[in-house]
Amino acid sequence: MSLQITDIRKAFGGFQALDGVTLTVGEGQLVGLIGPNGAGKSTLFSVVSGFIEADTGEVRFKGADLGRQSPAARARKGLLRTFQVPREFSHLTVRDNLKAAAPGQTGEGLVGLFLRPGEVARQEVEITAKADEVIAFLRLGPVADLPSGRLSGGQKKLLELGRALMVEPSLILLDEPFAGVNPVLIEELVERIRELNARGIGFLIIEHDLQALTRLVPILHVMDRGRILASGTPGEVLEDPKVREAYLGGAA
Amino acid sequence: MEAYLVAIAIVALIYVLLALGLTLQYGFTGLINFGHVGFFAIGAYTSAILAMNGLPLVLSFAAGTIVAGLAAWPIGLIALRLRDDYFAIVTLGFSETVRLVITSEKWLTNGVQGIPAIPRMFAGISVGSLASFAVLAVLLVVTIVAILGMGRIVKSPFGRIIEAIRDNEDAVKALGKDPARFKVQVLILGSGLAGLAGAFYAHYITYIVPDQFIPLVTFYVWMAIIIGGVGRVSGAVVGTVLLMVLLEGSRFIRDVMPFISDVEMASVRLGVIGLLLILFTIYRPQGLMGDFTRR
Amino acid sequence: MFYAQLIVNGLVQGLIVGLAALAVTLVFGVARFANAATGDTMTFGAYAALIGHKATGSLVVAGGAAVGATALLSLTVYALVFRKLAGRSVVALLVTSIGVGFLLRSVLGIVFGHNQQLFTVPLVRPIRFNGLIINPFDLQLAAVAAVALVGVFLVLYATPIGRRMRAVADNRELALVSGIRPERVMIALWLLVGAVTGVAGMMLGMKTIVSPELGWEMLLPAFAAAILGGIGSPVGAVLAGLLLGVAQELSTPFVGFTYKLSISFVVLLLVLLVRPRGLFGRLEGVR
Ligand SMILES: Nc1ncnc2c1ncn2[C@@H]1O[C@H](COP(=O)(O)OP(=O)(O)OP(=O)(O)O)[C@@H](O)[C@H]1O
Ligand SMILES: [Mg+2]
Repeated sequence: MSLQITDIRKAFGGFQALDGVTLTVGEGQLVGLIGPNGAGKSTLFSVVSGFIEADTGEVRFKGADLGRQSPAARARKGLLRTFQVPREFSHLTVRDNLKAAAPGQTGEGLVGLFLRPGEVARQEVEITAKADEVIAFLRLGPVADLPSGRLSGGQKKLLELGRALMVEPSLILLDEPFAGVNPVLIEELVERIRELNARGIGFLIIEHDLQALTRLVPILHVMDRGRILASGTPGEVLEDPKVREAYLGGAA
Repeated sequence: MEAYLVAIAIVALIYVLLALGLTLQYGFTGLINFGHVGFFAIGAYTSAILAMNGLPLVLSFAAGTIVAGLAAWPIGLIALRLRDDYFAIVTLGFSETVRLVITSEKWLTNGVQGIPAIPRMFAGISVGSLASFAVLAVLLVVTIVAILGMGRIVKSPFGRIIEAIRDNEDAVKALGKDPARFKVQVLILGSGLAGLAGAFYAHYITYIVPDQFIPLVTFYVWMAIIIGGVGRVSGAVVGTVLLMVLLEGSRFIRDVMPFISDVEMASVRLGVIGLLLILFTIYRPQGLMGDFTRR
Repeated sequence: MFYAQLIVNGLVQGLIVGLAALAVTLVFGVARFANAATGDTMTFGAYAALIGHKATGSLVVAGGAAVGATALLSLTVYALVFRKLAGRSVVALLVTSIGVGFLLRSVLGIVFGHNQQLFTVPLVRPIRFNGLIINPFDLQLAAVAAVALVGVFLVLYATPIGRRMRAVADNRELALVSGIRPERVMIALWLLVGAVTGVAGMMLGMKTIVSPELGWEMLLPAFAAAILGGIGSPVGAVLAGLLLGVAQELSTPFVGFTYKLSISFVVLLLVLLVRPRGLFGRLEGVR
């Protein structure tokens, strides 16, 4: 098991956003997470990635309890996340966004920067090459030197994924990667995620675009009002009357 | 006239050092430091007190720089967990507390009477104007080194990360980097620069009192970088030059209109600074040189 | 007994801090920024009261002048400055409010000069109560503060505009989609804040000496109390102000007169160490 989430609860004031969520993602699995607006999906991501502390419950990654580890510590273990509203470094170019994400840079320390300029230069070359690889992989070439604040919503989503790829992820939590992305690009993105998964990277994906999602993931969890309502293959889950009711109830 | 120009140039370069520190902190990292003058004061008093006790100036300057930098460390540890605006308030409170300390601890700082007759730099050179030129030359070299060093820093991987922090701190965390670590370093660097500026100030003016270290000084520097353009090294320099023109220009007004008293002039200056802060933020937030959004 | 006396002395000071903190917290809650012009606006209120008092000798007129003039000033500053910065960053507003403060202080300094001016209040024999010395004038000031507080809380909790103000403070987006007109709320806010600041300034001026630098020193205590009380919480701000006022007085015998000013800074640091978002600060999520 790569990610084990057990009985997570979280209340905001009097509002129970997460009400005992248990969920697992196996090594290298592709898992979908759906649910009506306000179900608590993004909150769950924030708990798993360490941005929000749960009231109770446990998150294990690669067997180890993550406890109260910082978001940064979790990311360094290979557990990455993206944000529902893209959080690009808007004044940096796309390439610099990616380069900023690269781990273990000597030049990020002031001592290393001034005392080991040779090493810093060498790493820059490597990091640039890696960033360019990601740029090519995500087809971001035409905008690579643009300040990322000027990208379209869809391109920003790609960039979010790209930054996570720079960090040597073993599991990526994607929060609505297809939202605001045009249909052609969604196809493209689905393909990319498949390819990455084939290389062994696991994904847990929140998405409202069920068409795209169900083609991608073999396992789907449905959340409603802070609980997991149903789990199974997309076919099973979407036939479930409870799920249909939750969605209709949510829309009403 | 020549002596006057040298004097202005020296004070201007001292402000450039302050502005560079704040540019690194606010312009590149987004830290709203409202307590810059506190670190300036620490540098000035540290170097002055040590020099009065016989320490060679080279060492007292180094001590002023280091002590000011280190003073930023605990402040950073506490304040960096805070929201931006709380950070601003805490740093403002810090600089006011520094002023209270130097006002109260008479045994160390001589209180409101201040420290007179601080050793000059190049006291060995008997011709006053030559000594001033020497000070200017040293200050110029130091400033150029600081500008080059900063240029190197902001174009490095370190610079990339601090700009990323300014743009979106949570995203930096999500990528496995700890913003607090970078912010503390930036705070220490910028405050060290302020401390160095303080040492130059103390040994050039040769007389320091707590009243020279009021928050207005902090906002002089803020005004300089806002006018020049936030997040640009050139902005810090251009803005400071304009600030000096303004501050010195007001002195000339008094030459033409001698009936204006000192305190009135201080009021006018305060008002002009206030007005410029308002007008620039509303109508030209990118400053004259353009800010980081238009690089 | 000595300490009881200090507490009594601290209460009036605390009311002033509390009123200033109330102004800070209202702006913070509704307009979403830390208004660094609060201190200098208080100074303006003190001068307005001074003029009113000199002209008529009546404390009531002085109070009316402080409230009216400062409310108008506050609204003007909103219309000319802060309104133009709607939607801009926290820094933009913060820096601008510093600018507003400087400009105000400068104008006051030019118009009224830098001589310290005093309210000439009749000397009254202090009341002795169980060994406590209470200045009747302080009682009057406390009464003024109480009236002001009752007024503010009535506006906030018993009028439609007050309800809207609290709705905007609570959840801006929700308030706007439910048809609340932000412009009106803002006008009401700045009038109310101006009035409160005016009263605080008048009280401060009467307790000490009126000079252009008067209010600036109150800024940190006001911020500290606002944060201590939980940003955006009016009741919290007033209580925290009282607490700080008393703490300042109580600390004086131990730390001396100068350092009592830094008590608020220390308290602020301690609170923020324990609760980085203030005692009752709201949670902000990550999406
Ligand atoms: N920091 C917070 N403070 C208070 N309430 C919050 C906070 N974060 C989330 N909530 C509430 O918790 C509930 C769940 O929010 P969450 O963002 O997790 O939903 P979601 O399932 O991701 O919805 P969507 O599909 O719209 O993104 C919502 O009602 C939201 O208003
Ligand atoms: Mg969501």
